[in-house]
Amino acid sequence: MAHDRTDLMQGTLELLILKTLSHESMHGYGIAQRIHQSVDDLLKIEDGSLYPALYRMEERGWLASEWGVSENNRRAKFYKLTRSGRKHLDAERANWDRISRAVTKILQTA
Amino acid sequence: MKDLTRKLLNPFGSEAIEREVEEELRFHLDLLTEQHLQHADTLDEARASALRQFGDVEQVTDECVEISKRQRLFTRALKSFLVLTFLAGVFVRIFGTEINVLRFGDMLIAVAVMGRLFLYVRDLKPAGFRPKSDTSSPLKLNSSAKTPASLFDINNP
Repeated sequence: MAHDRTDLMQGTLELLILKTLSHESMHGYGIAQRIHQSVDDLLKIEDGSLYPALYRMEERGWLASEWGVSENNRRAKFYKLTRSGRKHLDAERANWDRISRAVTKILQTA
Repeated sequence: MKDLTRKLLNPFGSEAIEREVEEELRFHLDLLTEQHLQHADTLDEARASALRQFGDVEQVTDECVEISKRQRLFTRALKSFLVLTFLAGVFVRIFGTEINVLRFGDMLIAVAVMGRLFLYVRDLKPAGFRPKSDTSSPLKLNSSAKTPASLFDINNP
């Protein structure tokens, strides 16, 4: 079934991360699990690809990170959305809706 | 003094950055291995599945270290600039004679102090940052699963 899954479009992973972190702070493993559960195996995402994205997003000021203790009492790095990240999520979500509607329209008429 | 020497020899804290990235990725890989252990017959099998799901550990580590170094370099450059601005302001205040020059010195000091204050406030973590210890979290691990401190070392996958 793996060949039926869709590879991620550029920028989509960032949007998924932003959305995942919009309710609570999480560590990388938690983010990966939540995304896998949400996309229901429809998208092919390597867990490792999350980290460069997380680091880049932190560099851009969309995320903040802090070391804390995980649910199994191990030291883990937790990520949280910043105010700038929340704004970016809103903008990207609107952008995604627009593109999605446009592509769907084209596919239906073509 | 020892700390200062280490900082001078290693201005971007490369070792600390690498250690942090490796610890973060090791945490992920350990939990992933535990997860696969529930369906695998052996630890090696679980570890191989975890590595497959994770991707290229070395490449991910390198990318994260590089981004972290870049970010730290920028912050340090900004902090150094603010220190220099402050010192320049103090210098002007001490040796300046004309009122306009003294005002310029005050301005430099104010810019430096406000810049440093901004960086300090930005680094503060709000209380809400603390992770919730949600027992109903889907990320909760099976307590009966084998939980060695570190199932494997990512430096030697």
